[in-house]
Amino acid sequence: MARIGVFVCHCGENIGRTVRADEVAEFAKRIPGTVYSADYPYFCSAPGQKILAEAIREHELTGVVVAACSPQLHEPTFRGAACQAGLNPFQCEMANIREQCSWVHPDRDEATAKACSIVAATVERVKRAQALTPVQVPVTRRALVIGGGVAGIRAALDVANTGSPVVLVEREPSLGGNMARLSETFPTLDCSQCILTPLMVEVSRHPQIEVLTLSEVEEVKGFVGNFKVKIRKKASFVRAEDCTACGDCVAACPEAVPNEFDMGLAWRKAIYIPFPQAVPSTYTLDADRCLNARLDSETGFRLLACVRCSEVCKPRAIDYDMPDEVVEREVGAIVVATGYKLLAGEPAAECGYGIHPDVVDGLEFERLLSASGPTGGEVRRPSDGKTPEDVVFIQCVGSRDPKRGVPYCSRICCMYTAKHVALLKHKLHDVRATVFFMDVRAGGKGYEEFVQRVAKEERVLYLRGQVSQVVKRNGKLVVHGVDTLSGQAVELPADLVVVALPTGPIRNERLSAALRIPTDAHGFFQELHPKLRPVETLTAGIYLAGAAQAPKDIPDAVCQASAAASKSVELLSQPMLQREPTTAVIDDTHCSGCFECLAVCAYGAIERNEIRDRRGAITRVVARVNPAVCEGCGVCSVTCRNGNIDLAGCTEEQIFAQLAALGPAPPGRDTIEETDEGAPARAADRV
Amino acid sequence: MREPLPERPTASDAGPAAPQPGWQPNVVAMVCRWCTYAGADLAGTSRLTYPAAVRLLRFPCTGRMNPMFVVKAFEQGADGVLVSGCHPGDCHYVQGNLHARRRFATFKALMEFVGVDPRRLHFSWVSASEGTKWVRVVEQVTAAVREAGPARPPAGGPDSAPPADAETARRPASAEELQALAERLRRVAGELLEQQTASIVLGYTRGTLPDRAVPGFITRPEQAQQLVWDSGCHHNLSVYLPRTRGGEGKVAAVVKRCDVATVVGLLQERQLRRDELHLIGVQCDGVWEGDRLAARCRACDGTVPALCDVAVAAEGARAQQVAVEPDPRDAAIAHLETLSPDARREYWQGEFERCIRCYACRAVCPLCYCETCIAEKHRPQWISPAIDATGNTAWNLVRAFHLAGRCTGCDACARACPAEIRLDLLNRKLARVVEDRFDYRPGTDPAQAPPLTEFRDDDAEEFIL
Repeated sequence: MARIGVFVCHCGENIGRTVRADEVAEFAKRIPGTVYSADYPYFCSAPGQKILAEAIREHELTGVVVAACSPQLHEPTFRGAACQAGLNPFQCEMANIREQCSWVHPDRDEATAKACSIVAATVERVKRAQALTPVQVPVTRRALVIGGGVAGIRAALDVANTGSPVVLVEREPSLGGNMARLSETFPTLDCSQCILTPLMVEVSRHPQIEVLTLSEVEEVKGFVGNFKVKIRKKASFVRAEDCTACGDCVAACPEAVPNEFDMGLAWRKAIYIPFPQAVPSTYTLDADRCLNARLDSETGFRLLACVRCSEVCKPRAIDYDMPDEVVEREVGAIVVATGYKLLAGEPAAECGYGIHPDVVDGLEFERLLSASGPTGGEVRRPSDGKTPEDVVFIQCVGSRDPKRGVPYCSRICCMYTAKHVALLKHKLHDVRATVFFMDVRAGGKGYEEFVQRVAKEERVLYLRGQVSQVVKRNGKLVVHGVDTLSGQAVELPADLVVVALPTGPIRNERLSAALRIPTDAHGFFQELHPKLRPVETLTAGIYLAGAAQAPKDIPDAVCQASAAASKSVELLSQPMLQREPTTAVIDDTHCSGCFECLAVCAYGAIERNEIRDRRGAITRVVARVNPAVCEGCGVCSVTCRNGNIDLAGCTEEQIFAQLAALGPAPPGRDTIEETDEGAPARAADRV
Repeated sequence: MREPLPERPTASDAGPAAPQPGWQPNVVAMVCRWCTYAGADLAGTSRLTYPAAVRLLRFPCTGRMNPMFVVKAFEQGADGVLVSGCHPGDCHYVQGNLHARRRFATFKALMEFVGVDPRRLHFSWVSASEGTKWVRVVEQVTAAVREAGPARPPAGGPDSAPPADAETARRPASAEELQALAERLRRVAGELLEQQTASIVLGYTRGTLPDRAVPGFITRPEQAQQLVWDSGCHHNLSVYLPRTRGGEGKVAAVVKRCDVATVVGLLQERQLRRDELHLIGVQCDGVWEGDRLAARCRACDGTVPALCDVAVAAEGARAQQVAVEPDPRDAAIAHLETLSPDARREYWQGEFERCIRCYACRAVCPLCYCETCIAEKHRPQWISPAIDATGNTAWNLVRAFHLAGRCTGCDACARACPAEIRLDLLNRKLARVVEDRFDYRPGTDPAQAPPLTEFRDDDAEEFIL
């Protein structure tokens, strides 16, 4: 039998002015199931809360209705007070008679009648409220970071520095990502590798970080705090523990292939180290380019045509039979930092990209500028190694072009182009540099000043305009464009053209499916809320960092990486994760297994549960809710045609009782009061 | 002591709504806690004023709101209902409101079709910052409900029944043709059992009435001779499929084009496994009741769909080409839609009043496969079991809504109904709503997701304030 207490607050004048609180309290006494009611000027005050607590104890209340302000304000206060007095917090509900009654209805009679009706409905709700306890989820204190670029590195270090172990997975043979390729960074022009490589070394030496390079995440099972991840470590065919990085194998290898790290502008061997500062500093045998035939991807080479690298290797580190290895790690949180790549589309082809070797993209030009690059830092054009006299930079080659490219702004190109101009001019003082731009977007600390300085001091022509095509004429490139300020067509000779291609996502359908996190229209991973939850994803426990979420420069990527790390640590620092108990509840006795609930669940909280007989044969497959993942939206409950899914804290029984209490008795229905809790009180009958 | 119940008002004395002086409408607003509830709070904090007629019920999300809650609210005497949540893109649960938009678009069409005054049911998106919009919506809704007057108990009136179906130009297939198909069918069924591809064949056998075949369950090859095929093969045998176990072999079933559509539905909803099923598709020139061609057959050419494992069809030129005619159910729906909401309501109440709650419609429906039905659920009780206006209306609405986007129009329910309620029109109307709005036709592709489990970002929302 329910014993409900109703506490009607005057909120000083706020409620009291239009709602006659004493009358509401009197009315509440007559609702079947209420055993106590009181009104008081401020129930949220300390003495007010004391009255509530004492009444709970003295009258052995099983439920409490506080008729006061909006639950968005004081629900935690009163639930806390009720909890301290020994009541389950979910058996305390608020009836909003301020924001939704006294403040909006000036007529005293109307407002009082409405307040009574709100109280009556809330009493019915509380009568049927179940005691709920938070869902406890154990947490595996280890994080997985996917991607070993600057964002992944930062996130891994930040988590590991709190003492939680980290697994850092990188697809390439070395950490570093795109940042390792950069020559210098804007706006300070400090050397990219000089600031990045210490971090790479720190990661590799960190006792709490396990670095898995040449590895990819294959499968993610489980849920927040309890992910089970399968990672494929691809064979490098060089035993890292034996390799001394002497480089003898490289000299012996007969097969040369374009070096990806140098964006294909230089050569490497089939056995190689991507760049001198690579971490880990071991060699990798590129199975796709090695002369030895590879029949089975998982068990090394089968037919050996060439063993020169192995012959010269003194520590005998080369192992042609090395298989791929699949390792399993249990982690509590996952940071996705898979980075970006440049997208070459139709606009790029018009600018001659991919057609003329002297039309290069931003990353290729970085390598041409870099002291560790193919030219040793001298700017020479790729086709014949000649030092250029005219260099043309073209911005937005596909960005901000909804029809043929991507609609968004790639965010980094304006700044890196200014940097390119500055570095170019430092190296070749007499070079003529022209920049075609749409707008210069330099919204960052020190960015605008940097662009202004470059434009003024470096004697560069910033031309507001667009390029229609780049053609080759008499051995020289000619850029055809239009100066959109004057409206005049321009034609510029060029030895080297640098195009700013859109930064796009690295589309990895398998990873995205394994992580169960959606991507946006462009393929970037989707954050949970664009403003308020920018690093979280739809799947609890999975966070985003860096350009995998949207185009970002280094400071923003690092910033988000630290935010993702902080979110991960927030999760990993608790031994048990507390989740709201207001989740969907499935009574699977009558589940027919249509799984429409599973289809509509945005969080993957519904699982298929196989019910087996004694011999282990599947008899039925029914739906099951994982309360650790469920967010309690209730979308699933409506799909269940025979009403097997209910929502704790907002049950159908409660809803029906409230509806009954709100309505007047329909004509033709009996209006007899019963004293048990089965008969909802009807406000309209009594006021 | 119980007082005797007051006399139930009838249609005539309830009459056109004549509100008592001082009558205030009772509007129930079901709102989501994140947007509209917060928007209503903002209206309060901003000290705006609006009519006191509206009472809020707080839900986590519009996606939690079962359309049957609206039916319940009306049952409990609400004069109007408002459903309000977050704007698309604002949902705290990402997509709950987008699911709700589809459900309520369909539900609203159903309510309007059964004659619920459109002035009584409203939908809106109100965000947490739209206190002024909330006030505007409440004013608008209250004014509309006030205009509609007090909700009155439903009452029936038979006068507006749709006219009889138009004559068909089609004639039943010739006896020779049917005989040839039947023989081929027996051979196919016999072979399936002989070769133990199937361990049971569901087909039609001769019953006691001359023009009505009855379902037959054939398990031995020699029994295959009992199978018949004629224009009296009305039943949709797929209703038996989910509960028929083949043991070692498959379950084979004789299916017409319309039956295959429900098999597709059952596959979509995981009630059947394709690999345990052997479909014997038979070319069908339509089923007849006396000289009346079944409504669903008019617009159907009766060919065997590609999903079938084996096709039993006429060889060579056919004596009669099947002429596809307009579906007479559409004409009946069009007729009802020309009526005023009140007249439509009276028509449907007249229909529902005859319901004896025998649940034959449910028993014959292949897609009503739930072991226990919502109609039998108590604590809480969704649908009153009483055979009265309230209970009957709730049952017929929930039945129709549960089939929205799923019913393939086999009309088994309408055929089974001893009270001859036009269930086929309710089903057909919702099928057309789903097709128009969501570009979805049930029973075509087993791999397709049911339309009410999906949404599109640009689903129409012209009905949402």
